[in-house]
Amino acid sequence: VSRLRRDPRAERAALAVSSDARPRFARRPGEQRPRRDPRAERAAVETAGAAARRRFDWLARGTGSAPAAAMDAGPRLRVVNEPVFLVFAVVDAPRGHLTTQDRQTLAAAHVLAGTAGAVAMIGGGAADEADRLLPLTATPDSDVLADQLTDLVAHFQPRHVLWPESAAGGDLARRVAVRLGEPLFCGAEQINAQQVRRPAQGRRIEQRVKPPRLITLADGAVALYAGPRCEARVMEAPPRKVCASAWLNVEDAPADPAATPLGEADFVVAAGNGVSDFHAFRALARALRATPGASRMVCDAGLMPRTAQVGASGTVLAARCYFALGIAGAPQHLQGVAGCENVVAVNTDLHAAMIARAALAVVADAQAVMPALLALLEAP
Amino acid sequence: MRALVLLSQGLHPVSGKSCLPRAEAQAARLAAMLDADASGLHAGPSSESVREALGRGLTHLTHLKLDGDPVPPIVAALRDLKPDVVLAGPCGQGGEDTGLLPYAVAHQLDWPLVAHAVAVEAAQGGLRVTQAMAKGARRFVTAPLPVLVTTHPSAPPPLPFAYGRARAGRVAAFAVSSPTAAADECETRPWRARPKVLTAQASPEAKGRLLVNPDPHEAAREILAYLCKIGVVAERPT
Repeated sequence: VSRLRRDPRAERAALAVSSDARPRFARRPGEQRPRRDPRAERAAVETAGAAARRRFDWLARGTGSAPAAAMDAGPRLRVVNEPVFLVFAVVDAPRGHLTTQDRQTLAAAHVLAGTAGAVAMIGGGAADEADRLLPLTATPDSDVLADQLTDLVAHFQPRHVLWPESAAGGDLARRVAVRLGEPLFCGAEQINAQQVRRPAQGRRIEQRVKPPRLITLADGAVALYAGPRCEARVMEAPPRKVCASAWLNVEDAPADPAATPLGEADFVVAAGNGVSDFHAFRALARALRATPGASRMVCDAGLMPRTAQVGASGTVLAARCYFALGIAGAPQHLQGVAGCENVVAVNTDLHAAMIARAALAVVADAQAVMPALLALLEAP
Repeated sequence: MRALVLLSQGLHPVSGKSCLPRAEAQAARLAAMLDADASGLHAGPSSESVREALGRGLTHLTHLKLDGDPVPPIVAALRDLKPDVVLAGPCGQGGEDTGLLPYAVAHQLDWPLVAHAVAVEAAQGGLRVTQAMAKGARRFVTAPLPVLVTTHPSAPPPLPFAYGRARAGRVAAFAVSSPTAAADECETRPWRARPKVLTAQASPEAKGRLLVNPDPHEAAREILAYLCKIGVVAERPT
């Protein structure tokens, strides 16, 4: 039996909006992207001033442009005074810093909250992406944390609760789901207000549902929130009973950066062809408590082990910070650091790709910067 | 200390054939380190590929033949078998793949659950579990017995398969009835790979700052200040 034939002309006719000038069509149901308004876009980038002809700053760098300056002058604030519903975004925030996955979770919460709902960040410190803040009492035992969170969910009755599908977030989500006795939609890879999708059966099928109450988000499910800054009002938490941990003893052992596999490391310092003194490089990695990495050139030369190679043919990093010393940044190398949030580069070439990628780029000789940095670290 | 491993029938990630998930083979190794007579428990329609666990460190298996929700029969069997430590993989491989089963079992039994274990050892009054935390950190947790432990992928690799031990292992099968799990109202489609949304480069710090030919000491101060600001290097006393 063949599929029903579509009739594109009839579908188009059904969406027609009456207009005298030219045919116009309404948006299709489920079509998300708003229509562009080219005239407004053009007006926004027009530079002010009595020039002989109209000038447009297409890169919108805001140099002397009146509309851009007006936008910079007053950062708008999103205020939701009487939210119709709440969306909880439970963040990991190790040591108070939001991870990329935490910020994706907040972005997904904004997708589900829209303009009517408020995004409440549970745990973590401050964030510009949250309308409300609800602190959790930090504890190593996830059972105690899950009890606290279950109480909060029972008290505030949020429409959705979102977690990142990270080690800590995924664990907490499952504990809360079994306490609430509700299904958990875990590892969602795509999310919008109408639908969430997740792989199942070993990535053989994809399940799609209307966004349920409890969701965990896989990495890269949603783009970061780009709207106006949110007010981050601290919410009054209900008084809760103190639960004792069932654990007998907990000891934390910080990661040994020298022994951490490169793919798991939090902070990587890497040497490239611009580094010749590897004793100083290793001393610097020890002093910074960073995992040492290297470019392909250095590994090929046998100056660093092959396990230290960063890039497409080596290890793809998930580090929070990448510090590149004397690395120009071949495309294959940049693929390896695509997931790093902060990149610091030291290179003699101003036009190197790594300098363009870096959040802090220093055009200098890495061999000169390394001893200066070592001296500064060992000074006090 | 009596150790038991929860086993499942997974699909191989590449070939799609029925196999024992690697995480459960790793759990079998951890169980064999605790208890020389470690056993396995499997609830499902068939135990064909689960038998592989007998060659990976377990000595006998209990197979609960059922078609419905596996949680109530597993809970009943654990109440009956009374193990001290139950090990499980973090997530199934080839089914719903939600990883909820160990949590549901631990919740119904009211046992503590310790996730992400890379090593386990008997300790005074309990079990000392080494947990793998994010970014290579470790945590040592001593939990009271009985306890449910789920493994982390960086746990020691599975024991090499021993054919003789796999043949010698015993499988006790029981038919049990279980209510059918409530079917979720979800639409299914064949899975299609979609690109991840790359968000790392869009962070607010990504606005580049450029220093051209600074003094090396000036450059070092700037770099260290930046590293302290983003929190990868501890704040320095000034």
